[in-house]
Amino acid sequence: MLDPNQQFRGGVFHSSIPDGRIGADIRITPSEIIAEPSAEALTVMDPSQVARMPRWVIPLSECQVDLGGASGRMVFCRNKERDLTIFCEERGFAAMLGDRSGGMLSEQLHVVKKRQAGENHRFRFWLTVGVVATLLFGVIGYYSVLAAARLAIAAVPISMDEKIGSMAMQTIEKEQKLAADHPATKFVTEIVDRLKPHAAIPEMNFKVIVIESSEVNAFALPGGQMVVYTGLLKKAESGEQVAGVLAHEMSHATLRHGLQRVSQSLGIVAAIQFLIGDAGGLLALGSQAAQTSILTSYSRQSETEADLEGARMLHEAGLDPESISAFFDKLKKEDGDIPGVLVWVSSHPLHEQRIESIAKFKSTLAKKEYTPLDLDLATVKESLK
Amino acid sequence: MEVEIRNRPAFANLLVNLQPGDRIIAEADAMASMSSTVDMTTRMNGGLFRALARRFLGSESMFVNQFTTNSSGHIVLTQPFPGDIVCVELRGNTLFLQPGAFLACEPGISLGLGFAGLRSWLSGEGLFRLKMSGTGRIWFGAYGAIFTREITDEYIVDTGHLVAYEPTVSIRVGLAGGIFSSFFSGEGLITRVRGPGKIYMQSRSFDGLAAWTNSHLW
Repeated sequence: MLDPNQQFRGGVFHSSIPDGRIGADIRITPSEIIAEPSAEALTVMDPSQVARMPRWVIPLSECQVDLGGASGRMVFCRNKERDLTIFCEERGFAAMLGDRSGGMLSEQLHVVKKRQAGENHRFRFWLTVGVVATLLFGVIGYYSVLAAARLAIAAVPISMDEKIGSMAMQTIEKEQKLAADHPATKFVTEIVDRLKPHAAIPEMNFKVIVIESSEVNAFALPGGQMVVYTGLLKKAESGEQVAGVLAHEMSHATLRHGLQRVSQSLGIVAAIQFLIGDAGGLLALGSQAAQTSILTSYSRQSETEADLEGARMLHEAGLDPESISAFFDKLKKEDGDIPGVLVWVSSHPLHEQRIESIAKFKSTLAKKEYTPLDLDLATVKESLK
Repeated sequence: MEVEIRNRPAFANLLVNLQPGDRIIAEADAMASMSSTVDMTTRMNGGLFRALARRFLGSESMFVNQFTTNSSGHIVLTQPFPGDIVCVELRGNTLFLQPGAFLACEPGISLGLGFAGLRSWLSGEGLFRLKMSGTGRIWFGAYGAIFTREITDEYIVDTGHLVAYEPTVSIRVGLAGGIFSSFFSGEGLITRVRGPGKIYMQSRSFDGLAAWTNSHLW
């Protein structure tokens, strides 16, 4: 039930008040809205002014109500001449107004609320339109950048790949590099030599080094420089499995995925720059993480492309294309639960799909007798002990 | 406590003369110089969470400094950007400030943070606003000169120019004209304020400065 003597805190706008407004305590009687200066407002006022402060009255019968204010919930009551405004934001004020006016003011408030709701509705509509348009613009922009990057790369000479690759190579730890006449180095070099003639870019200068590390990993940098970790050789069961990994990695180089990554990253930075105006901090952050990780972590699409191109190279070189699947299938089955060990597999997602797509690709190739590699992995493994 | 706003409007600063018993609360880092007889105590701005909220949502610092003296002395308070400072006396009423505008106040004022809404955010006034209420004087600053306007009906302010407003004022965002003229007139979005009430505006905007600086970077 509404308390008839309830006081509300609010304020008054009137030209007679110094500064035009004052905080006030408001009561609603059955016939009038009465506002009196609040104690707080009076304490800081000149005593002579206090004596002249009247109380302000708006008869309910001629009151015009409106809603607004910063919160949208402030109730404004104006007199007929509209030179006196009593306002209040407290809960219950509107209900009390409605109650005391016998519903008349509730109806006025209802009309105002409906108008407000309409405005909110329109605002939300245009906000949604704005957000959708911005997103659409962003997505279209993103894919345009990607497409433009692909086109641009085709025009860039291979020497650019080599430069970028050499720069990245400098940042790789090579203290544990095995000598060129080490059996492991000879082993991988021979495989690369066998695959080389079948690469999509015949003039690409493939070079491979072996680094002693427990990491099961191998990668190719733009331009054809490759790194194989001894951990991978120890895990492999056959020369074909190593050839599978190398063919896949060589394909990244001939398909120029590293350069795509760089140009995409630059494009994304440029896009962010355009959208938020400052990518300086982001760039600094990016250049740290960039280098090798950007050059050798590819999109899912790039991985699939490298799988199929690698399979084609193996096939042409007279090796079983399914060697690619064989190696990571083995790793996945044996050590799939150990995180961190399997860098090469973990960076290559969607295991089953890949095995399937390679098998499918193989079935489209002309039937061919595959000749196994005449290489002795066992001796290599022995030399790594 | 006697407070003088000096060097208006470009490089306004406050000269506060303190007598025993006087206290003034100022934004952290606002003090430029002070007498050796003035004591400074730092306190968190109304509890950890309110302080954190003010820091991260209201672009103000987590801490405020309180200055007192046992004999007499003065302090000089400044704001980080060039522009005017104004004094407003609250008598139990409330004033909303844009984030970052607060400079100093008397102890009777409470500093709060309120959600200002998406409209306020879109109009460049921030998703949150500082809510100053209580009894006493507050000083706040702006970038450029500060001018006020008593609005009774609707008035249009460009985004980023509104510094402070009374709670009786409502804010809406709108396009400056049609779609075409809004994008190509350089006005873009505008803020429609609706009275009654008083608004404080700044003659320069930070967005304007940023855009101008950007255009000279390349």
